[in-house]
Amino acid sequence: MEEGGVNVIDLTQGDESFVKELIALGADELRECIQCGKCGATCPMALAGLEFFIKRIVHAANLGLRDILLEDSSVWGCQSCNRCVEICPMDIKPYEVIQAVRRAAVKVEACPANTYEGLRNLYRFGHAVFPKGFEERRKKVGLPEKPPTALSFDEFRKKYQELLRQTILEEIAPFPLD
Amino acid sequence: MQKIGIFLGCNIPFNRPDIEYSMRFLLKELGVEIVELEGATCCPAYGTMPSLGLLEWAVASAWNLSIAEEKGVDMLTGCGSCYGVQNEANYYLKKHPEIKEQVDKILAKVGRKYDGTVKVWNVINFIYEKIGLDTLKQKIKYNLNGLKCAVQTGCHNLWPSKAFPSGEDNTFFPKRLREICEIMGGVAPHYSTITDCCGMGALRSNAPEKSLALFKKKLDVIKEELDPDLAVIGCSSCLLQFDAGQALLIEQKKLNYKIPALHLAQLTAIALGAEVEKATAMASIPLNGVITKIKGGN
Repeated sequence: MEEGGVNVIDLTQGDESFVKELIALGADELRECIQCGKCGATCPMALAGLEFFIKRIVHAANLGLRDILLEDSSVWGCQSCNRCVEICPMDIKPYEVIQAVRRAAVKVEACPANTYEGLRNLYRFGHAVFPKGFEERRKKVGLPEKPPTALSFDEFRKKYQELLRQTILEEIAPFPLD
Repeated sequence: MQKIGIFLGCNIPFNRPDIEYSMRFLLKELGVEIVELEGATCCPAYGTMPSLGLLEWAVASAWNLSIAEEKGVDMLTGCGSCYGVQNEANYYLKKHPEIKEQVDKILAKVGRKYDGTVKVWNVINFIYEKIGLDTLKQKIKYNLNGLKCAVQTGCHNLWPSKAFPSGEDNTFFPKRLREICEIMGGVAPHYSTITDCCGMGALRSNAPEKSLALFKKKLDVIKEELDPDLAVIGCSSCLLQFDAGQALLIEQKKLNYKIPALHLAQLTAIALGAEVEKATAMASIPLNGVITKIKGGN
């Protein structure tokens, strides 16, 4: 959208193959949407003021507006709260549309840098959230420095990494999987 | 003796181990044997493997579920994301046999298997159904003495309800956390934004100012409608927002009041006689008044 302009959706930009891609990536009931807007009425992204909240994302997905969906970062601000899934009268699982857009975006590296940070931490340590200084915090409450997760067991961590390498992560990770 | 696998996730062991201490304490006091899930990983968080593909989501969660299954236990988590992600993975594995088949193959390659028998519990539902309100009432050492609580169940503990093993009669009017606070001697009224999102999670990571503004809207309603002594939280991510996030708003001079916040596991542990210094070790908003009231003061 240009500054001061009106955000008009250009229907000629629609790409049917993108709709099919999203359906294949998990948005399997996308076509059933009746545009009732109930999802938007419960969406925290809408309440927080993100331009592309769930109703607009489902609409754009149904029109196959690939560029709008991949250029706008709103899908990455979705809380995965699933209110939309709970409330959708057509059971299209709107949140799955968000995830399908994310899955399409990752394939062309159209995702925020912190997505890779989480994936890298998950692969290296077995934990997507891995903040510094945790050893001291754990000692303070009388717990061992490391929790008894994959972090403490090399054998488990290596097996878990082997599992992750069997997925699409092997193809898209912009960091070494060794 | 009842047994449960303790699923730690990431934020609890690394950012808020005072919740882990509290979970371990309350399980011991309530006579539940803790089974360690050695080798467990991240759930995995919604922004990681679930955002790459449904198979990616299901297989990464199945790793954790298979560890619990091998030990013959269900899982307990204090984190809403861990609860939502793994319950949804369980749901997808049942609903999509073609995904389950692929998951089985990958698990077999790393020497694991998962038959789909594990249930994932959060602290609210575990106390409510597996312990029971009457038992909790009998076991507490410190009554909450009329402490006024504003409860926050957390989105991932509520929706999508069809994927969860148990839950509220009406997810848009949650009562369980209120009932738990009240059986311990607190007062926990309904308020108009009780189910509103706290703003933690992907929104906080990707649009921090909007996230904190959304949180402030909720806090302002809580302050105006309840003016509580304490916020009682069912999810570790919500607690990070209610505690450290609130401290940040105060530091930025965007908030001129304080509402102390505890995870339900922390509050229950304290009522059961846990060491307060450990149960609240990482709290940013001071809890002195709350603790004094619980320990029998004014």
